[in-house]
Amino acid sequence: MPDVKGWMREAEADARRVPAGEALAVEDLSFAYHDTARAALRAINLIQSAGEMIGVMGASGAGKSTLAKCLNRIIPELEGGELRGTVRIAGRPTAGARVHQMAPEVGMVFQDFESQLFSTTVAHEVAFALEQLGMERGEMLRRIGPALEAVGLAGLEQRDPTSLSGGQKQRLAIAAVLALRPRIIVFDEPTTDLDPEGRAEVFALIRQLREQGVSLLVIEHEAEELQRSDRVMLLNEGSIIAEGPPSAVMTQLDLLESCGVHPPGLNRLLKLLGIEGHAQSIEHAETEIRKRFPNAPIASTQPPSRRTPVSDSVRPPSAAPLIRIENVSFSYPGGPRVLDGVDLSIAPGEFVAIIGQNGSGKTTLAKLMIGLLQPESGKIWLDGRDRATLHSAATARDIGYVFQNPDHQIFAATVEDEVAFGPRNFGLAPGEIERRCTEVLRAVGLENERASNPFLLSKGQRQRLAVASVLVLRPKVLILDEPTTGLDYREQRRMMRLVTELNESGVAIVMITHAPWLVAEYARRVVLMRGGRTIFDGGVREFFAHDAMLRASSFRAPEVTQLSRRFGTVALTPEEMANWLRGRGG
Amino acid sequence: MKTTLYVERDSFVHRLHPTVKVFGLFAVFWSIYWVDNPVALTPLALLLLAVAFAMGAMENVYRLRWFFILIIVPTMLTWMLFYRVGRPLIHIPLFHVSRASLMFGLGRGLKVGELVLASVLFLSGTKVEELAVGLSRLGMPYRLGFTITLAFRLVPLFMESALTVVDAQRLRGYDFDAGGAFERVRRYVPVVVPVFMGALRKANNMAMALEARGFGRTRRPTSFVEYRMGARDAVAFALLMALGAAWFMVYYSGLGAIPVR
Repeated sequence: MPDVKGWMREAEADARRVPAGEALAVEDLSFAYHDTARAALRAINLIQSAGEMIGVMGASGAGKSTLAKCLNRIIPELEGGELRGTVRIAGRPTAGARVHQMAPEVGMVFQDFESQLFSTTVAHEVAFALEQLGMERGEMLRRIGPALEAVGLAGLEQRDPTSLSGGQKQRLAIAAVLALRPRIIVFDEPTTDLDPEGRAEVFALIRQLREQGVSLLVIEHEAEELQRSDRVMLLNEGSIIAEGPPSAVMTQLDLLESCGVHPPGLNRLLKLLGIEGHAQSIEHAETEIRKRFPNAPIASTQPPSRRTPVSDSVRPPSAAPLIRIENVSFSYPGGPRVLDGVDLSIAPGEFVAIIGQNGSGKTTLAKLMIGLLQPESGKIWLDGRDRATLHSAATARDIGYVFQNPDHQIFAATVEDEVAFGPRNFGLAPGEIERRCTEVLRAVGLENERASNPFLLSKGQRQRLAVASVLVLRPKVLILDEPTTGLDYREQRRMMRLVTELNESGVAIVMITHAPWLVAEYARRVVLMRGGRTIFDGGVREFFAHDAMLRASSFRAPEVTQLSRRFGTVALTPEEMANWLRGRGG
Repeated sequence: MKTTLYVERDSFVHRLHPTVKVFGLFAVFWSIYWVDNPVALTPLALLLLAVAFAMGAMENVYRLRWFFILIIVPTMLTWMLFYRVGRPLIHIPLFHVSRASLMFGLGRGLKVGELVLASVLFLSGTKVEELAVGLSRLGMPYRLGFTITLAFRLVPLFMESALTVVDAQRLRGYDFDAGGAFERVRRYVPVVVPVFMGALRKANNMAMALEARGFGRTRRPTSFVEYRMGARDAVAFALLMALGAAWFMVYYSGLGAIPVR
């Protein structure tokens, strides 16, 4: 168990860290990157008291990371541009300081945890920054223990950081920052690349640090995670457009959505029901709703899975399956078994979400479907043909795969060339290629970017380009590996609209995801994997009714769905829950 | 997937002082450099294999077996093409197969293989932090030494990323094997571009994370792990000196050269 208190005791003994007064002051801060006319930050003013936690929200490109980088001088030292205004840390202006001089003042935890680890053991990773300060070994030892204790990694001192899970790696990066005992810790979207378990671990740690009075600035675009902040700020096009306690900002749902932030589902539900206010927690929302709907049922203690009030057709259609996986097992050379007797079939027009913790076998299963791997035992059938007899390149027109990171495939000089790459490989006629490119670029909303350089597109656009360049081959099944990772809410919605339209046009969708709300709102069937086996395969609603299984799999239902369980139902969206409650009278 | 070559063991090589390890690599490179004759190179290959076995690094040698074969065999064949000395034994168009060219080709192949093997053993028994310490004690500025060690750490990550990119392009129907030799090289553009762009992005992220943790703050950072020279290091140092001197003598006496007949 993490124990932040030990680290705090040590840190407070360090006289420089005693919280008092102002931790951070930003005055009239503006910044424009070189070669861009548009300002990334416009006259930002911000005072952070010692011990305060500020949540910063906004769309991609709103200026969140730019603001963070200005605090420890990465801007303008490493990323140049025109900077105006002042930043003070504990009363001292930072102007003229080098980034490495700021290390003991501002600790920074980045999104890409792989790029923050440089050492071969956990203990050495924490020691790295202390070595750079020229610290004596005895003092290093005094700091490393409490820092690792604080993030729950005590006992793993000699482990190789590359062998840790994603959540552990990010917690290690946090320990390395804690050991420096900085005055402020800045988290720049620290959980974007993590699975739900890793995400929960990191936010639990952030909450503990906040309770211990550490000054924190947390950048995030899921509003739910910032509920416990003392204050939240909403950035849009480089300016602060809303600021205040969470109860004041997180109830402005339309504003949040228009700024690319995922608004809290509970607040959306309250608003739909005409209840004023901000839901601090699921319990709080339940109390408010029961005041308005005193006759609403209370969940019984009976096993609920067969009593879901809203019924929908979730079983796969009876058509012959496009993909049939029969008793497939697989292990990587010299490794343990990754898949163990998996059976699964995907029918035309289905929308299946494959979920499970990292290492549960999701991606391996997908790679077997597309023929990048061959099963150790068992059979896979693709449209009635034995997968083992088909080359992966030859079946690209039957089954498409969009990798998690679009940058793993983009190479061409223009968007159009990138999309035309696949059809050219299959020797399609130029007229046909042209027709298909026009069609898919329109479908993904990139018709005006035909001649643009793909490397200059936003992450959301690059992700849609990757989908377009797979889609152009008109596959019958499209497998998407985490299609929304790293996208802001607006881009996520846009991507999912595209995927839904494809599905409606008859393409079967298999989506590997960690995001509960995507499963709830878009998928029609869920396959839950654990330890290389499918432990659930059925309808979405049925899935979210299995409370014990959800707990055991560390998959957290969306807050509204969790709330609906307290009323004995399974609602997948705020709208659905509101309708259900209204149906029971106000 | 394991992305480094380091093998966690407590062998005599692992226990050596980092400076001695770096010096050891240098001494082996030096010895390989002076001789061309496969007869003079074979004892070095056997010595390296014995060290690999003793330090528990055979798993890495096995892991990289195709890499060794891919490096050694083409080197041997290429030199048989260009080293046109001695009386031909058989006539094959383009190739000059004589006793001397066979010896020379074999020698070059062994040489390259031994250089790679020595590097693999070095990385199997040396943590990146030790490499940085070793280089810095031998007079290299810390910043430069650390950057070199980081490059070692990044190579496997880029290899992994390259494999993913190859898969991604293959799934778009791309055939990497079409065309002649030059065409095949050109066909790797759709792999090189994404890997290179990814490497740039990664390097940029890493530079920010390093500086944010104080990298570059002092010219002589302190060390978390204490390294002390001991009697073992003195013995190893003396043996390595002797190895370097002995193979220089082999060269000096002419025994390391290929006899031309």
